[in-house]
Amino acid sequence: MKQAQHTHVPIAARLIERTDLSEDTTLFRIAPEERALAELSSFVPGQFVQLSVPGAGEIPISPADLPAPDGTLELCVRRVGHVTELLHKQRPGAKLGIRGPFGSGFPLREMAGRPVLLLAGGLGIAPLRSLLMHLLRQRNRYGEITLMYGAKQPRLMLFREELTALAAEGGMRLYLTVDFAPETAEGNHSCAIGLLPDLLKGFRFDAATTYAAVCGPPPLYRCLVADLERAGVAAERILLSLERRMRCGVGRCCHCGLGQKLCCVDGPVFRAGELKGIPEAL
Amino acid sequence: MEKTKTFLKKSRLNQFLETLRIFGELHGPTVSESGVYCFSPLHEPAQLQLDYRRTQIPPKKYLLPFREEILHYASGTYREGHSGAGDLVLFGVHSCDLEGIAYLDRVFLADPADPGYSTRRSHLTLVGTSCEPDDFCFCPEGRESSSCDLFLAASQDGFHLSSHSARGAALLSGAAHLLTKGPPPPRRPSGTCLTPQDPQLRFSENPLWHKFASTCVSCGACSVCCPTCYCFDVREYASLSGGALRIREWDNCLFASHGEVAGANFRPDRLERLRYRFLHKYCGFTPLQGVNSCVGCGRCKEVCPVDIDLRELTAPEPEER
Ligand SMILES: Cc1cc2nc3c(=O)[nH]c(=O)nc-3n(C[C@H](O)[C@H](O)[C@H](O)COP(=O)(O)OP(=O)(O)OC[C@H]3O[C@@H](n4cnc5c(N)ncnc54)[C@H](O)[C@@H]3O)c2cc1C
Ligand code: SF4
Ligand code: SF4
Ligand code: FES
Repeated sequence: MKQAQHTHVPIAARLIERTDLSEDTTLFRIAPEERALAELSSFVPGQFVQLSVPGAGEIPISPADLPAPDGTLELCVRRVGHVTELLHKQRPGAKLGIRGPFGSGFPLREMAGRPVLLLAGGLGIAPLRSLLMHLLRQRNRYGEITLMYGAKQPRLMLFREELTALAAEGGMRLYLTVDFAPETAEGNHSCAIGLLPDLLKGFRFDAATTYAAVCGPPPLYRCLVADLERAGVAAERILLSLERRMRCGVGRCCHCGLGQKLCCVDGPVFRAGELKGIPEAL
Repeated sequence: MEKTKTFLKKSRLNQFLETLRIFGELHGPTVSESGVYCFSPLHEPAQLQLDYRRTQIPPKKYLLPFREEILHYASGTYREGHSGAGDLVLFGVHSCDLEGIAYLDRVFLADPADPGYSTRRSHLTLVGTSCEPDDFCFCPEGRESSSCDLFLAASQDGFHLSSHSARGAALLSGAAHLLTKGPPPPRRPSGTCLTPQDPQLRFSENPLWHKFASTCVSCGACSVCCPTCYCFDVREYASLSGGALRIREWDNCLFASHGEVAGANFRPDRLERLRYRFLHKYCGFTPLQGVNSCVGCGRCKEVCPVDIDLRELTAPEPEER
């Protein structure tokens, strides 16, 4: 039996570095205590951890990359409310807590040898970045890798320089788009204007073998799934990382229910095929 | 033969209750000053209301307190909260509530077991009693739950005791001096019980949902009083000393806030929320998919201020009758 540890008590972690990515989103590097490392090393992109901010509470976060060789973990977090607000006030050295990893990750073994299309909207880039990093590190195990990433405005585009640099190395194709660009210098960048589905429309790819991984705000999923299916991607190969309010992370509090499934144990990565007939899923 | 001495005469019930106190604090069905049936401490046998129909709040309160401290944070680390468990004997639990506890066990004792729940559960001795169904009940006919340590089946002038665990056997031998040989146990009366059937079929586009949704006030009473509703919210409170307390408390999927995430609500309408609860009750959730967690206690129907009766969904349609 797993330790009770796993259900409630977070393992201490220290904030060691923070990098602001946009006005409300910051990349936090945390160093979990040694006894968390073995469990965290099993992390699969798409899984999530429960991050505790003492005095505020606990929130689910999908690490933005696999744990670094030194055991540290990158979490890209947007300030939206109670817990994230306090997290954003923390300075290096601050004490945090971590449990996990939890949930299903992307089916990496199954995806091997196949082209992968990553579709990220807004903050959805966070969980997809860990998938992307994994794919790029094991570059020759996968087919063509394409990332399409849409943000509201150029200044809200996360990891832009990093992604551009990675694309320049030739390992992947990168398409960026913004909903609108203000008429200032910052709008003057090499990215398209329009929504993610518009980008997908003009895209030629091998739909019969491609795996598509989608993560973004709730309204994005419905139209992207329809577009992908129309393009010929089977519902079983459309992977969606869903977001729900989560409390326990281990299938007990029922906060994350969708139909007869729970996002924290059956997901957060689902195949579009699994979600058919669940009206509240997308 | 010693074995057949399992009959407790009515006149010896009070003495029997005293022997139970050896196994923990004795609780059972009582009636409050305002006339509400509830499980509470039995200080004296006279408080016991053995002919009760159902308590307002089910026994889940002993295993999942309404509000519970799960963690406390001090000097840089989180520690497990106190379960607050002492030995407790819960006397007079009906079969439906015993089955309710059995369902909660499946959820909270599954690997990894919930620490608070499993501690309290291991301190809990369950003594079931038979019951008389009323118009609200709809558990399967003749059901006598064995999900307890000891079961008391009432007959004309006493009770037939049957043990269902090692602890039950210990209770029996502790009370051996009070027991005699008795007549065979009577058949349980069959009431108006009806079995929910084929809920999946009625689940999706039944016009009854619209009828229900048009009157439901989302008060959540049906879920609060349900012996198998267990969903909870978690909150953390900072203390001035720099420490913090993390608590969990009962939550309710009938409240609009339950399905919220940033920028969306997956169940904004009453209809969706009612349906969601129903689906969970009758068709189960991961990993108990397919398991019906409605034990037929009838509480939800009794407490609903607008008389919503989800049984209408599962009852045979008029033309089928
Ligand atoms: C599997 C998973 C992975 C996630 N990964 C990331 C990530 O990498 N980076 C990131 O910044 N955020 C991520 N989130 C979202 C993050 O958990 C929420 O932003 C966070 O819980 C908000 O907490 P809060 O106390 O600051 O906000 P609150 O004060 O609780 O609420 C503020 C707003 O956020 C909404 N909200 C609350 N909890 C959630 C939730 N769990 N999911 C979505 N909306 C919520 C509320 O409805 C409200 O509109 C993820 C969520 C899930 C379920
Ligand atoms: S759904 Fe109603 S009848 Fe069924 S167990 Fe819950 S409260 Fe009792
Ligand atoms: S008790 Fe009745 S009115 Fe209240 S939430 Fe339940 S169904 Fe709706
Ligand atoms: S987060 Fe508690 S059940 Fe999924």
